[in-house]
Amino acid sequence: MRKYFLFLGIAFFLVTSITMVPMVEGADFSGKTIKWIIPFNVGGGSDVWARLYSPFLQKYLPGNPIVVVKNMPGGGSIIGGNFFHTRAEPNGLTVFGSSGSTSFPYLLENPKVKYDFSKYQIVFATPVGGVCYINPNLGVKSVKDLKGFKKPMQYASQGATSLDIIPLLAFEMLGLNVKAVFGYKGRGPGRVAFEQGEVNVDYQTTPAYIKNVRPLIKQGKAIPLMSWGALDANGNIVRDPVEPDLPSMPEAYEMLYGKKPSGPGFNAWKAFFIAGFGMQKAMWLPEKTSKDIVATYRDAAAKVIADPEFKEVVEKSLGGYPQLAGKDAESAFDKVLSVPKKDRDWLINWIETKYDVKIR
Amino acid sequence: MDVVLQSLAVVLQPSHLLMLICGVVMGLSIGILPGLGGIVGMTILLPVIYGMDPHSAFGLLIGMVAVIPTSDTFPSVMMGIPGSSASQATIMDGYPLAKKGEAARALGAAFTASLIGGLFGALVLTLIIPIARPIVLAFGSPELFMLALLGMSMVGVLSGNKPIKGILAAGIGVMIGALGDAPAVPEYRYTFGIDYLMDGVPLVVVGLGLFAFPEIVDLLIKGHSIAETATLGKGWLDGVKDALKHKFIVLRCSVIGVIVGFLPGLGGSVVDWIAYGHIIQTTRDREKFGKGDIRGVIAPESANNAKEGGGLIPTFLFGIPGSGSMAVFLGGLLILGIQPGPGMVTENIDLIYTAIWSLALANVFGAILSIALSKPITRLTVIPFSYLAPFMVLIITFACYQATRSWGDLIALLLMGILGWVMKQYGWPRPAALIGYVLSDNLETYLFISVQRYGFEWLTRTGVIVLAAIIIGSLAMGVFYQARKSSKARASGERNGK
Repeated sequence: MRKYFLFLGIAFFLVTSITMVPMVEGADFSGKTIKWIIPFNVGGGSDVWARLYSPFLQKYLPGNPIVVVKNMPGGGSIIGGNFFHTRAEPNGLTVFGSSGSTSFPYLLENPKVKYDFSKYQIVFATPVGGVCYINPNLGVKSVKDLKGFKKPMQYASQGATSLDIIPLLAFEMLGLNVKAVFGYKGRGPGRVAFEQGEVNVDYQTTPAYIKNVRPLIKQGKAIPLMSWGALDANGNIVRDPVEPDLPSMPEAYEMLYGKKPSGPGFNAWKAFFIAGFGMQKAMWLPEKTSKDIVATYRDAAAKVIADPEFKEVVEKSLGGYPQLAGKDAESAFDKVLSVPKKDRDWLINWIETKYDVKIR
Repeated sequence: MDVVLQSLAVVLQPSHLLMLICGVVMGLSIGILPGLGGIVGMTILLPVIYGMDPHSAFGLLIGMVAVIPTSDTFPSVMMGIPGSSASQATIMDGYPLAKKGEAARALGAAFTASLIGGLFGALVLTLIIPIARPIVLAFGSPELFMLALLGMSMVGVLSGNKPIKGILAAGIGVMIGALGDAPAVPEYRYTFGIDYLMDGVPLVVVGLGLFAFPEIVDLLIKGHSIAETATLGKGWLDGVKDALKHKFIVLRCSVIGVIVGFLPGLGGSVVDWIAYGHIIQTTRDREKFGKGDIRGVIAPESANNAKEGGGLIPTFLFGIPGSGSMAVFLGGLLILGIQPGPGMVTENIDLIYTAIWSLALANVFGAILSIALSKPITRLTVIPFSYLAPFMVLIITFACYQATRSWGDLIALLLMGILGWVMKQYGWPRPAALIGYVLSDNLETYLFISVQRYGFEWLTRTGVIVLAAIIIGSLAMGVFYQARKSSKARASGERNGK
């Protein structure tokens, strides 16, 4: 029985020592530990993103501090965000990693949200794209065929306030008759539902699209329609480099209606597109962080992004899009924050009436 | 076939073997600690695999996850405390065996069943990879709802002769499962403004609260050791023989394990209960179940190891996890630069076979190590429990705290523990409550999707009708055997002049 205790003791020690995170206070990074709060579970997209970045940040931040990813899941990332807002000190030792699922409740003025991105300093951001595709038995070959197309379609959705705002509002603007079926746990199950024929229109983020949907297209089981688009240096939505032959969503609109999209719906869509895709994941420093620390971080991020070894990581695991560092990320997020209040209200009102949910 | 052997050569390289053994030792440790399971293990290992070559990383991760359902049997059998969610049903008969002083026999049977189940899972994985996609695709939301319902029908046999209490307990479980964010609408239910409740009560808290807490309290009240006899009875070799004697149970339950494992969205945490319920439903002489029937140990243990092999299928082929630990494993794949999908079968087939070989080898190592450990560890059951209790309380609170690392975990554990103790005192079947809790989300989600998508037409789908027939059949079988048992009991009672 002593052996059992010894064994249990060792196991206990192993588990605790690895899961406990040391806390260090101070302003100089050498010998310090930086805590990177990720408001999602281990193994999720944001967690993987942070773990891919952290060894490189460790390399380029002055003094080579240890960068620890601290997962704080809960409430669809609201709990971690609020923790960062109330507890993080502006000493550069606590940083936050947000995702589209973190910025959407903020933009939708969810009453549970305490965090406020307008007060934080952005370090860098990672974009991702999305490609929309449909079942061939609908008889639609490309966006052009959608003119006046009224057949009922179904889309497997995670919820009316999730990232699915982008596809749902896009379908609405394009005048498609798409019924959102709610309750799916993410894009993976949504794709399986598409393959099962449970739904007939779907979108995937680009890495999953390349690996999972392109084979379907080759087999004639799916037809790609459009990408949501990609953000260029001037903040315009252009074609996604992953599928340069497909129109972006604004282009698709133009093809159907003969004019560029405009109005409160499109303004809101664009703001949410930037927050959800154009800069889906971002690293933030807390309010009142000194200029020095912000500059140091941004400088390190720029070096990480230029590192050829990291470029390979981006290519292989992060979708291959150019990463946004410092000012580029800041000006992109300004576009999100500058969306007029009335356009945001229009969107909230649209979701509330169309899907019969209460947001505020 | 070449690839299969090539992968074996890769797996047998010293560097890979070392990783595999590291993973196995880690997995055994995590399994032995009550409440900690594959998710915690994966979470700990994920940061380590950065920059590793995929084959070694697979050895580590799969070695770890494969043996958790082997070693988690120790606390389940010896203390009536689930070692992880995969071994909850093992308690039902394993713990009574330990009380009789036959812990070694129960463990021997369990490890043999685990080994065969694990190997069978690996074998099925090899055979099924080419045809797995259409099978997974055949299960739409309506079929998944019916499978959840099939799981719920196990409540009947697990409640013994107290069906009303069983149904009510399952209802309580469903209600606990409904706390927090609703699956299909952006709403939070019964959170009372408490942040902790936004994601509901974690599985580990419910499991340990309902099973571990009441056991510790009762053992302390009684004040003696776990084994009620002073001497330890039959040894582990008898257990091995038991498992081999019931080889058809082992194979049947392995099949159940693989199926539950590879259906994404069902989650692995009910597989032990489904296997246990199945074995009671299909057995004539069921008087001894719940009192220390070795078959009640063999069934869940063969199923839970087979599940891990099944769980790899949707993870590799669809990029959607078959269980909680596979969700973290999926993140591991992305860190290694592997994007799962149908292309895995052509581009990364070597990796898939590495995974399968790792799974098989890990099961062998895990079973051997566990059997070697079982002799000293079973001695634990004869020492007075008051020495063990503080340590056990520490471990279960620690395990619960790992769920979300907030105070809420500990408060929830206490509340669940009190609920569990009260249920135990008044003879309410706790397994029924647990099954209700685990299936609550599936039931709601898939029913919601089915009705939204198909209206009432989903009831006419072939898969739904077949599953409905299976549910009705298994319920009828349960009632039939129950009736025979009670009429026999009456007959023998009359003979005895009672």
